[in-house]
Amino acid sequence: MAHNYIVTAQKPTAVNACVTGNFTSETDLNLIVAKNSRLEIFLVTPEGLKPIKEVGIYGKTAVLKLFRPADEKKDLIFILTQAYQAMILECKYNKERDDFEIITKAHGNVSDKVGKPAETGILAVIDPKARVIGMRLYEGLFKIIPLEKDSSELKAYSLRMEDVNVQDVEFLYGCNSPTLIVIHQDLNGRHIKTHEISLREKEFVKVSWKQDNVETEATMLIPVPTPLGGAIVIGQESIVYHDGSTYVATAPPIIKQSTITCYARVDTKGRRYLLGNMSGNLFMLFLEAETNAQGNLYVKDLKVELLGEISIPECITYLDNGVLFIGSRHGDSQLVKLNTVADENGAYVVPMETFTNLGPILDMCVVDLERQGQGQIITCSGSFKDGTLRIIRNGIGIQEHACIDLPGIKGMWALQVGIEDSSYDNTLVLSFVGHTRILTLTGEEVEETEIDGFLSDQQTFYCANVFFGQIIQVTPTSARLIKCDNKSMVSEWSPPQSRRIGVVACNQEQLVCASGCDIFYIEIQDGKLVETSTIQLEYEIACLDVSPLDDGATKSDIVAVGLWTDISVCLLKLPTLERIFTEKLGGEIIPRSILVAKFEGINYLLCALGDGSMFYFVLDKDSGKLTDQKKVTLGTQPTILKTFSSLSTTNVFACSDRPTVIYSSNHKLVFSNVNLKEVNHMCSLNAEAYPDSLALATKNSVILGTIDEIQKLHIRTVTLGESPRRIAYQETSSTFGVITVRTDIQDSSGLKPLRSSASTLTNNITTSSNLPSLSRPAGVVSVEYGQEMEIHNLLIVDQNTFEVLHAHQFMQTEYALSLMSAKLGEDPNTYYIVGTAIVNPEEPDPKAGRIIVFHFSDGKLHQIAEKEIKGACYSLVEFNGKVLASINTTVRLFEWTSDKDLRLECSHFNNVLALFLKTKGDFILVGDLMRSITLLQYKQMEGSFEEIARDYEPNWMTAIEILDDDNFLGAENGSNLFVGQKDSAATTDEERQQMPEVAQFHLGDMINVFRHGSLAMQNVGERTTPTQGCVLYGTVSGAIGLVTQIPPDFYDFLRHLEERLTHTIKSVGKIDHATWRSFRTDQKVEPCEGFIDGDLVESFLDLSREKMRECASGLQIDNNGQKQEATVDDIIKIVEDLTRIH
Amino acid sequence: KCPDPRPNRNVTGMGVNFATRFFKRHQGFNSVKLDRRFVHSNFHVARILKIPDLDLCFTTCDFTSDASSLMIGTHSGEVRVFHINDSTEDFNASCSDSYINNIKCSQNGRMVLTSSTWHTPLSVLWSVENKQFISKTNFDDEEYVEFSKLIQDKVLGTKGEKATIYDINTGQVIRTLTPTIFNQYNKNRATFCPTDELILSDGVLWDFRSSQQIHKFDKLNNTLSGVFHPNGLEVVSNTEVWDLRTFHLLRTIPALDQCQVRFSPQNVLYAFSIQSETLDDEHVYESSFKVLDSYDYSSISTTDVRKSIYDLAVNSNGCQIALCENQGGYESVSESVVRVYTVGRKRDPEDDPDEDDEEMGSDE
Repeated sequence: MAHNYIVTAQKPTAVNACVTGNFTSETDLNLIVAKNSRLEIFLVTPEGLKPIKEVGIYGKTAVLKLFRPADEKKDLIFILTQAYQAMILECKYNKERDDFEIITKAHGNVSDKVGKPAETGILAVIDPKARVIGMRLYEGLFKIIPLEKDSSELKAYSLRMEDVNVQDVEFLYGCNSPTLIVIHQDLNGRHIKTHEISLREKEFVKVSWKQDNVETEATMLIPVPTPLGGAIVIGQESIVYHDGSTYVATAPPIIKQSTITCYARVDTKGRRYLLGNMSGNLFMLFLEAETNAQGNLYVKDLKVELLGEISIPECITYLDNGVLFIGSRHGDSQLVKLNTVADENGAYVVPMETFTNLGPILDMCVVDLERQGQGQIITCSGSFKDGTLRIIRNGIGIQEHACIDLPGIKGMWALQVGIEDSSYDNTLVLSFVGHTRILTLTGEEVEETEIDGFLSDQQTFYCANVFFGQIIQVTPTSARLIKCDNKSMVSEWSPPQSRRIGVVACNQEQLVCASGCDIFYIEIQDGKLVETSTIQLEYEIACLDVSPLDDGATKSDIVAVGLWTDISVCLLKLPTLERIFTEKLGGEIIPRSILVAKFEGINYLLCALGDGSMFYFVLDKDSGKLTDQKKVTLGTQPTILKTFSSLSTTNVFACSDRPTVIYSSNHKLVFSNVNLKEVNHMCSLNAEAYPDSLALATKNSVILGTIDEIQKLHIRTVTLGESPRRIAYQETSSTFGVITVRTDIQDSSGLKPLRSSASTLTNNITTSSNLPSLSRPAGVVSVEYGQEMEIHNLLIVDQNTFEVLHAHQFMQTEYALSLMSAKLGEDPNTYYIVGTAIVNPEEPDPKAGRIIVFHFSDGKLHQIAEKEIKGACYSLVEFNGKVLASINTTVRLFEWTSDKDLRLECSHFNNVLALFLKTKGDFILVGDLMRSITLLQYKQMEGSFEEIARDYEPNWMTAIEILDDDNFLGAENGSNLFVGQKDSAATTDEERQQMPEVAQFHLGDMINVFRHGSLAMQNVGERTTPTQGCVLYGTVSGAIGLVTQIPPDFYDFLRHLEERLTHTIKSVGKIDHATWRSFRTDQKVEPCEGFIDGDLVESFLDLSREKMRECASGLQIDNNGQKQEATVDDIIKIVEDLTRIH
Repeated sequence: KCPDPRPNRNVTGMGVNFATRFFKRHQGFNSVKLDRRFVHSNFHVARILKIPDLDLCFTTCDFTSDASSLMIGTHSGEVRVFHINDSTEDFNASCSDSYINNIKCSQNGRMVLTSSTWHTPLSVLWSVENKQFISKTNFDDEEYVEFSKLIQDKVLGTKGEKATIYDINTGQVIRTLTPTIFNQYNKNRATFCPTDELILSDGVLWDFRSSQQIHKFDKLNNTLSGVFHPNGLEVVSNTEVWDLRTFHLLRTIPALDQCQVRFSPQNVLYAFSIQSETLDDEHVYESSFKVLDSYDYSSISTTDVRKSIYDLAVNSNGCQIALCENQGGYESVSESVVRVYTVGRKRDPEDDPDEDDEEMGSDE
């Protein structure tokens, strides 16, 4: 048995499908985007897309369709998952909870016990009159689900469809019975055919019309609405309109370059369509119609026009007002606008907004570039022209712009002094023990200055611009009101009996001061401070806040107070200061900072304690009532909470030894660490030279800087313009090696790059010349005119600037497949080593290749050695200072000799294709194309490999990793994960040679790469969750997640929690969680085992308190060896700690 | 007809050469079909099973359900059980006095069916416990028997054109199916469809529940009645592929002429030509097995074994196949072995003198 915890750190970003319609209400225009197993619902507004809801589905979306049942004013969603779970969803607004709810109107499993899943994929379409859903799931069958009102079960029945190799299906418009049109293929070519379905007889009743031999590459059908009717057939080179009688074709040269993959209809009349192709070109297809002598409308001509370039689209949907959403799988998704006139480049397309997509993640490496104990991931992301490198870091980055050495800061505020008509701050007030200093910002210059009326021989507690052109300064002795224009003090307020002010809170109109147990409420008026009310509480005041809650408000109706001694929080009403609510926090740690804030429309009260932990509550503004208490540990030192704005949303900065930004996402507070070691104080600063910045006080300095866009994982993009495939980091040269592929096209003067990209734009370019011994295989010597070729390159990229320092181009038919950076033998140099294959497209696999050793020094890449090999080198790993390579069926070890040559030491043969290698000590894990994983041991004495154990199940591997000495992680092409376990203690040889699969999990996404490493900060205090090791993974759909090992008792606890959560959380589409996570291939389905679904476990934190209690009841927790019932807070703490590992 | 477009497959499409699609797989393109073809083009002898000193002739074989052992029938009526892992004989049992021509292991690993040529009982259901064959039910006259497919609670026996269904636990006859118009195929072997709802016997399709004849397929050969495709939609009868619902002839696959067909769970089918007892010893038998894609019957590979193939078995996950290979004519077998092949593995480069001249320190 193995015990693992698997959780998503970055949700999938590649878009599978998108639709537009009125989903959330009759009048709302919505965009719905499917990203693997998630659904995102947006509202289309004049300001852009507004996220409304995100829904997780227990399945990967294969088809997403929007439809409107007859007599309805609102649309419904139909989803079919890869595992053949079908569902119809409705969105309803729940007034009570002020939230949109997704209701499963109907659902059902439409799979067959026998039947071969169709090789051209899952296709599903809905009749335009919403009478029936049609699905092509299995070869030779077509399933239909009649759409009956009020039926909650989706029951499908199968019709025999003799058309084989079906490329696409659609329902035609304007037919009395639902009529299907298909593109199918036989030995003679591709054909289109229509089938009329009788819903009564549940049969195909007749073929209304057909057309044999359409283009051999015809892939897509577009049904045309009435009055025209018929369908458009999209091919590689031609576009045809056909309605059974009329046939119009066009073959514009502009579409030949690439394959059209998706379309969007622009108008309801069905005259204009947008087409997108694999090269990222966007076309407009226009049907020119005329009325014939009989008065019938018919299609006269087809016109195609290039509109411009977009991300390589997977799906396109037309929103409104010339705005489109481009969903992409190979690049970033986009919101673009179509202009009626072309810009200077001839493009009608203007990008408006970009939505980051990491997928497909081909490779990645984990490095700690900033040496802060925190890993960053650099991924090879995207394909073709949309290829990028992405730098992914947990937490929020502060870009430092200026730094001033000033130790001992106790407080900091930005002011506008003497520039009232400007929106910029020009002054920074810094408070120290016993004195205050003022800095003026003039351009980028910072100068110390003095302001008349300001008290500089005292510590400042608070300072701000307030109403009526005044500045307020609060010191331990008094509050002073200073006129901005003449810098003179106009009013001063001191506590009675010369008592000292202890704590202060203030806004533009109100000042609240506390001294001991007394609170004074003072209103700020023009030229005077007016003490309005006072109250004495039973204990000393520890912290205060009077922040206005409503947007644009300048005053507050409540004061939040934290008290000493009884460790409580209370809320007082203004102006009377009467107490309206008290909440005891418990424990003995004093509240140090209190804050009320509104996030995404919800009011919160945050209260940070002296030990770095923080309570937070939902606050009812009128009653002052606090509910939904949660506690989180932010750091280990007293924490100060400050609000700041970033991109017009409110966020909170928690200053401590582990600075954290608190923000809200999906109506849930998120805590994201900042890439600074320690922040004692901070304030927002919007100076002319430092706009939208923050001033941050550390122990010895003030940093002026800007903050990244607020999100948990921060992603930076380096555009390459070509496909990156492998990456390796080389610390000694401070560079990354990246293998990329670009497309060149043969023209009269030879091969030319299709577009400029990373490998063509650098100054240093070298080329591998064709070696006589590796003469190009026959048959590919003559490259046809217009033929495209893949050109492989090794790029050397600077680790800081990501500038391409050198590009080495490989031979014309040479594919670079593997890359590593390594030190070899006694040689002091660190090398980049590349494994290649010489490819003859006619052969099933390469017969030759090279292993090439490069050295990067003095800004240049030098070839040091090369070794010819008899096949493709799919994987390279450094192994005890030697080169371990997988070459076709073999695993081979090469020594680095003293004369800088690679010499074969030993080999292992027992694979179909050895594609992946990982090593640990003397052990080597091999991942095969089909034959799962094998463990080898290198025998140093004999200089040979020994096969130790093997998994005998057929698994088509996509990535492998060694978890520890006995557990081996594998990912296969059915989107499953498994752990194979070696049993050294087994009694028989036969058992020892087996590597049984002891853990299985369905991820629903294909993993391309595993790397040991962590995104979380490593030096963060103690953790209560006992996790061991951390393996990060990257997937085809751009998700990043991690697998970590946990002890058996913790596993059992989480298993129980998981079990309860599956009952508490109602799954969308009513798909059983156990079904979703079952290991599933063509051949077998086995229950999930040995993996805890962290995504499910962490959704515990999203539950209401009541639901949490329901989950927690009866759950046993181990407390110092004693089993006891777990409280909701125990579980919150455990789960929150789990969320911190990613 | 529109002009055929110029294929520019090496960039956007899937290439035949694996190296060209290695990264395409990682970009999310489907390469399953080409990968399947690649894997099923190579077969490597993993084990050679034989008993050195005995003059045995292996006639038929089947993998046990856990694929760890192989049960092999001999011409003298014994069943020999071999460990595949170490190529050693585990145990054996005498199951008949004559040539065993069919052996089938059940999915639960506890039962075996054997059929032999001429001594009664011709077919027997055995339970296998502690390396012992215990006779459970004798099917005196059944020339061929097999288990039902989806749930193995029935045995289907064939005698001539007649098919009989037995309850596996009681041995009672559940139904007897005798066609009204028969085809009298030489080698009729009644068989269940993948869902056990239909039976094909002597070229006639039966509904199991009602015992009704549904359809008689045209007889286009004399030998083979046909088998169901695991997709549940087609019947493969010699070279003909029939549609199970419309009974149309879907396609003709000349490569399957006179071939026994075994389906692999890896979505391919194996075909090998049956030894005909009537042919004289001098006749040159076709001695290769073919692999076809079970989706579209396209030919993937042909592997020459240079011996007569008496039987071919595919293990439960399709990663290994076993062939009864006999040297010499039918009556004068000079060398009889069962070879277990690993699917997808190429012959070791070391076997080929041209390659890897500088190899050293190989472990195999």
